[in-house]
Amino acid sequence: VKRRASWRLIGVAIAAIALAAHAPAQGPPATQKAALTNSTDTPHPKNLVPLDTKDTMGVLGKKVIAPSGDDLGLIVDVVADAAGHPRAAVIDFGGFLGVGSRKIAVDWNLLHFAPTDRNRPVLLNLDRAEIQAAPEYKTDSDQVKMVGAPPLSPPAAPDAPK
Amino acid sequence: MPRNDRRRLASIFRPDRALAKVSPERGLDGLNLFVANIQTGFGPFIAVYLTTRGWTQGEIGLALTVGTVAAMASQIPAGALVDAIGSKAAVALFSLLAFAASALLFALLPVPLFVYLAEILHGFSSCTLGPAIAALSLLIAGQRKLGPRLGRNARFAAIGNGVGAALMGLCGYSLSVRAVFFLTAALILPALLPLVPLRRVSLTPHASHTQATAEAPEMAGQAVRLLMTPALVVFGLCVMLFMLGNAAMLPLASTTLTKRATGTAPLLIAACIVLPQLVVAGLSPAFGQLAEQRGRRLVMLIGFAALPARGALLSIITDPYAIVLIQILDGLSGAAIGVLVPLVASDIAGRSGHYNLSLGAIGFVIGIGAACSTTLGGWAADSFGDPAAFAGMAAVGAAAALLVWAAMPETRDWVGEPSGEPLDRRLVATRPSVRSASMKEPGQPTT
Repeated sequence: VKRRASWRLIGVAIAAIALAAHAPAQGPPATQKAALTNSTDTPHPKNLVPLDTKDTMGVLGKKVIAPSGDDLGLIVDVVADAAGHPRAAVIDFGGFLGVGSRKIAVDWNLLHFAPTDRNRPVLLNLDRAEIQAAPEYKTDSDQVKMVGAPPLSPPAAPDAPK
Repeated sequence: MPRNDRRRLASIFRPDRALAKVSPERGLDGLNLFVANIQTGFGPFIAVYLTTRGWTQGEIGLALTVGTVAAMASQIPAGALVDAIGSKAAVALFSLLAFAASALLFALLPVPLFVYLAEILHGFSSCTLGPAIAALSLLIAGQRKLGPRLGRNARFAAIGNGVGAALMGLCGYSLSVRAVFFLTAALILPALLPLVPLRRVSLTPHASHTQATAEAPEMAGQAVRLLMTPALVVFGLCVMLFMLGNAAMLPLASTTLTKRATGTAPLLIAACIVLPQLVVAGLSPAFGQLAEQRGRRLVMLIGFAALPARGALLSIITDPYAIVLIQILDGLSGAAIGVLVPLVASDIAGRSGHYNLSLGAIGFVIGIGAACSTTLGGWAADSFGDPAAFAGMAAVGAAAALLVWAAMPETRDWVGEPSGEPLDRRLVATRPSVRSASMKEPGQPTT
């Protein structure tokens, strides 16, 4: 029994390694989500409209920085209204190795995207100190709040991110 | 069959003949060090990694749940499987390979099917690796010297955890989150080396073979009777209650830091993780000695009492640096739990042939306690605020300590029969062809 159990383990391990080794052949599964929005229907629908990758970008999982260059976390969700317009972005803020991070909603209008350079993080016109004490974003709560524009400063121009 | 095993292992390990001269004790040190190293980076990074791959929160939650359920479901079957396999070094070897496969799956194929597969692989192999290390320790040190040995295990594991957290954190921030998974897979290689001196140890028949003529149903009945042993049940309840108060405390303290500390929060959180590991590394050997000389109850009471103290302090103190210092108490509890779980299990089940099964059962209740802790702790913090949540966890911890004081028997001389001889030497004679159909089952779910 021992021996058979060991061999079964070997089999599993080898199968797993073989699977892992095969991975590159299947190509990088990078932007399946973006692809999905392009073609939800049958292979070749007539109503195809160009979606210029120079002008648009996916936002889930994108890094967000403050004007000072501080890392503010990753965009994990987008909150939209009935008309489909985005109202807020949910950012997973702070923490170390995923421990102690907090989900905070920020006003969509404070975000500035740079689709021309995919590696550039999204700029949020708020400082770390302005969002760190915000209440956690919770969908099951009645009073969900997002962090809006800072009260006294003029609406910051979408200047080039550093 | 042992000879067969030996030949097979020898063919795997041939390039490292020099290593075979290293003592098994040193080998065990190295194994603890590297295994902890590997395990650290894995869990917490998965959510962050999948987020960068554009996974939604719901999908990530599902993947993590798959992992948790897989780990919980495999605790007890994995324990029984490890009991049934004679070569514990082989178990460790295949667990490590499964770890590597899991890490590579994450790195190369972050699509749901393979992420679920990787989670299951990881969950199952962590359930076989821990018991295998404990069983190797028991074989090397013998029942009477197991306490100090486990203290040493915990020391090296703590060093591995600390170094691992630093290494993975550095890798995640300076390279990419994906690189962490490649690093994890690469770290499997040094972890395989300590198995070379351990392979001989594991070849000796283990305790179950003393129950020479037991039939399958009898073995199962015996296992159930063992798991129902009052001392084991009480111990299980104690650690479950402890985990219920303990598991949510670090995450909650960390979110408090994220709220309060400006800029330095990630560093302080890192300190909250690493500082207790330093304490564990320093204290564990002493706790192992203490458990051997003054009994398990004393060490258990010290470790359990640290939890209510920590909860109470966290509920009144809000200074970020003080929070880091309070985490020293976490190290105190960690050292006690790390030494005591395998030690008490060996007191009660070490010679029954169901040692790993009982470890699996304890792992199972610890998992339940930890899972409920996160849910309850989060709920308490949302509804009543952080201080109240900490106070609640302190109360649960106090209840756990009281339960130890009131109901936990001293298990040091549980079986009587004092013998300084290592198990392997005493048991080497008999190796009957005991087999049981029920012991085979656990192998199936992995396929």
